[in-house]
Amino acid sequence: MTGWMKKSLVVAAAAAMTVGMTAIASAEDVTLEFQQWWGVELPDGALQEIVDGFTEETGVGIELLSNPYADTKTQVAAGAATGTMADVVGLDGSWVYDFAQQEAIANLSELMEADGYDDSQLSDQIKYEGSTYMIPVVNFAYPLYVNLDILEEAGVEEIPTNWTEFLEACDKIAENTDYAAYCIPLNTEAPNGIQNQFSSWLWASGGSLLEDGKPALTDNELLTSLVDYFKVMKESGYLSDGVEAMHEQDMVNEFENGRLAFMVDGISHLTTIKNESPDLNFTYAPMPKADDYDGPSGLDVACWGIGIAENCEHKEEAMAFIEYMMSPEVNAKLSQLANAFPGNSTAEPDYSENDELFLKAFDIFQEGYAINEFTGAPTAEDLMRSMNEQLILYFDGDTDSAEDMLAATQEAWEEAYN
Amino acid sequence: MIGKQKKPVKVLIIILLILGAIWAGFPVLWMLSNSFKTNAEIFEFPPKLITENFSFTAYAKIFQNPEQVRFFLNSYAISGIVVVLTLFIGIMASYAFSRFEFRGKALINTVIVAVQAVPPITLLIPYLSLIVTLKLFNTYWALVLTYLVFTLPYCILMVTGYLNTMPRALDEAVMIDGGSRWTALWKILIPSAIPGLISVGMYTFMQAWNEYLFALTLTKTNDMRTVPVGINLLMGQHAYEWNQMMAMSVLGSLPILVLFLFFQKYFIAGMTAGAVK
Amino acid sequence: MNAKLKKKLTPYGYLLPTIILMLILLVIPIVMVIGYSLYDNVIANKNPVFVGLSNYQKVLTNSDFWTAVGHTLFFVIVSIVAHMIIGMVFALILNTRYLGTRTKGIFRAIYALPWMFTASVIAITWRMLLDPNGVLNFFIQFFHISSEKVTFLASRDIALQSVTLINIWSGYPFYMISILAGLQGISPDLYEAAALDGADAVHSFTGVTIPQLRPILISLIMLDFVWTLQQFALIWMTTGGGPVNATETVSTWIYKQGFTKFQYSMASTGAVILLIVCTIIGIFYVRHQKAEE
Repeated sequence: MTGWMKKSLVVAAAAAMTVGMTAIASAEDVTLEFQQWWGVELPDGALQEIVDGFTEETGVGIELLSNPYADTKTQVAAGAATGTMADVVGLDGSWVYDFAQQEAIANLSELMEADGYDDSQLSDQIKYEGSTYMIPVVNFAYPLYVNLDILEEAGVEEIPTNWTEFLEACDKIAENTDYAAYCIPLNTEAPNGIQNQFSSWLWASGGSLLEDGKPALTDNELLTSLVDYFKVMKESGYLSDGVEAMHEQDMVNEFENGRLAFMVDGISHLTTIKNESPDLNFTYAPMPKADDYDGPSGLDVACWGIGIAENCEHKEEAMAFIEYMMSPEVNAKLSQLANAFPGNSTAEPDYSENDELFLKAFDIFQEGYAINEFTGAPTAEDLMRSMNEQLILYFDGDTDSAEDMLAATQEAWEEAYN
Repeated sequence: MIGKQKKPVKVLIIILLILGAIWAGFPVLWMLSNSFKTNAEIFEFPPKLITENFSFTAYAKIFQNPEQVRFFLNSYAISGIVVVLTLFIGIMASYAFSRFEFRGKALINTVIVAVQAVPPITLLIPYLSLIVTLKLFNTYWALVLTYLVFTLPYCILMVTGYLNTMPRALDEAVMIDGGSRWTALWKILIPSAIPGLISVGMYTFMQAWNEYLFALTLTKTNDMRTVPVGINLLMGQHAYEWNQMMAMSVLGSLPILVLFLFFQKYFIAGMTAGAVK
Repeated sequence: MNAKLKKKLTPYGYLLPTIILMLILLVIPIVMVIGYSLYDNVIANKNPVFVGLSNYQKVLTNSDFWTAVGHTLFFVIVSIVAHMIIGMVFALILNTRYLGTRTKGIFRAIYALPWMFTASVIAITWRMLLDPNGVLNFFIQFFHISSEKVTFLASRDIALQSVTLINIWSGYPFYMISILAGLQGISPDLYEAAALDGADAVHSFTGVTIPQLRPILISLIMLDFVWTLQQFALIWMTTGGGPVNATETVSTWIYKQGFTKFQYSMASTGAVILLIVCTIIGIFYVRHQKAEE
């Protein structure tokens, strides 16, 4: 086995040396590969235009590579193991720990320091063992989507602001309409429902899954009551049918077709929903909070993160490209196009052309603080998956209490953290 | 089989025929219907076969996008080359299995069956590093060679069976006339095996056409990618182009369907000889 | 002497391209996978430590793995049996004398349709059909079969059956075409002889058709077993192995070990176990082939 690995390493090294030498000979010929899934989410050709700006400035070419989103992680893992990873890669916060640990992605702290880059303008940096490995380029907030027509049909007059009101609204919806009140996609393939449609509730009420960076699921009063809260929703039939097999996209389809009253979802879906279902009467609202909580509210965010492959031959140029993407103007432009919030805190996107609903979401975003405890967590997807499984077991009555459910999840999580 | 009570049998057959067509065809009909809907209409309840926004937009979008057209061309090229190579190499191997006794025959035979069992997903990383070492990454050849080794076992099993049915006297006659084994194989045995080879070729074509995991992993630029990857590229993080995915798979299956109808006569006849040994 | 040697080497000459290809492109990666299975954790860990067979001990004592084995057995056996029955029935229908050539041609094409789609499309289409708000549930309500919506893929009680159903749909045409071909190769004399002995339809089926098809059926079952055992895409893209682990099979278990837990060594170990099982089956198959000759 190692023989082959060595052989491939030798070949790779030889190739690297040739490439390296030519690079020194003519710096202008450098072309960086940038692998991402963002292009398809932006208006046609928009990303190409943005990266062309970098080539104009520096003469370094950028080749955009795309992968189906669902396979990106597998592909990055395979590329990392074989040294074929693209120079600059789009990353999700939940992968950072694993790829940093495998030395697949480069330490950006070192590169920023070498470059004298002022990182105070970055709104966030995702770290592994104290060093930055990923920089969020743009952030997507996950507020509450509300179908106003269903609320009216159900006789719910005010958008609920706390857990009790939300349950009352659900009850009316179940009573007076044929629609589902809420949805949490729980398909095992993509277990991020735990992050976006479950934990978002916890964070909104100032709760946390971790304590000092370690799992703290047991003796967590708020979390325990949230688990029970979801159990009530499930048992009362407030959730969409068949949530256990749903993907986030299926939930959006339900919402688009007017069969779902509330969902927690990324603002990035706004344009799609407006296009696909122009007649849908919906709005954004802040997440309902626990009844007795009136502190600041954490808002679930996902991001498009960026990192550099450890096998990249032109790390300096790659870092320059990241700095370009993070520069206030470019970052503002990208945020505006993606319906997202900038990763550079000094960027001032001009949202005047964006949908007015987007501005509403922006207000909600500014009232609270951004949070996502799965970002940078070890084997984050697996953490979500084990909680997903335990939640379904509790729904189905295989587990007796929320405490037991959380204890079982805690056990699975501790394994990943040790 | 030879019944006196013809009528009830015929009625039963027709009922079965229709039930079978619903079972086999309905999902495909649904796929076709969805390719003409808007993305939101696909998830309407109650579902409709034909919706008010019926349109060919999804198809038009595919044909207007040179990148997506390229996926089809790549798939044709790769699947075509794979069929030719699989048949050529597979026939030679089958000839050895069919006409010779040699050391290691059982071993090689067993290996050929067993290697198919390793889930491709576990081979992904070692295989990718191999392809990189061979400097084939992101080329047609990476995919051609991959599909070749995946389709060879089936080809060899089938063609060996087929050659076994042909009398050895045929080869011997050629050799008595001064011809070589090589001539006997290609001039005498293969021409009469054409129907069998068409069925193996069709099967090989379908395998190569529909493969996804390696098509994705062994290529990185869109100009090297195939239809299944193209379909999956329509599933974004936040936006799914359902109707285009459906349209693309309908378009992708058409050539296979046409080939199938075109070669039907041979297809059926060929499998007989190959399978019954 | 020289001629004798040449004769001895000839078969290897014919096999050479196959052997080279299989050796480089399949045997080497497989040997690497076997190698991985003997280390504590490769790829994720830059300096893996040789641990011998302890991964095998870990996998074989892992209850999740055995659950997956159970599901895989259900999935494989039900798939094979159903493939066989559906393939046989369709082939028999298409082989009757009651239908015209053109009708047969059209229905042959319709019945072969499932064969023409890539796994992800099959998964997507069936997810739509089986959705609580999908077509199948629409008919279930329309014909008042059940008042509740059936959550085919979301219920732990029926998810495995539902996934198996999808696999049955996607896999039977292979049997149908092969059996159809086999049927056409059976000499009509055999049926006539059976009829003279007073055999009815059932008896001529069990007495003539089945024995004549036996070699094909055995090859089909063997190939189908090997292919279904490693079916991954269909399961992964419909249920991801869930809800909880209701549809977890060995292949989804392996994937999760490798690509979400980054335990490549454990994943490799699982793969090698499958390889061993299939090698044993391959040996029996080759022996059986020999016995037939």
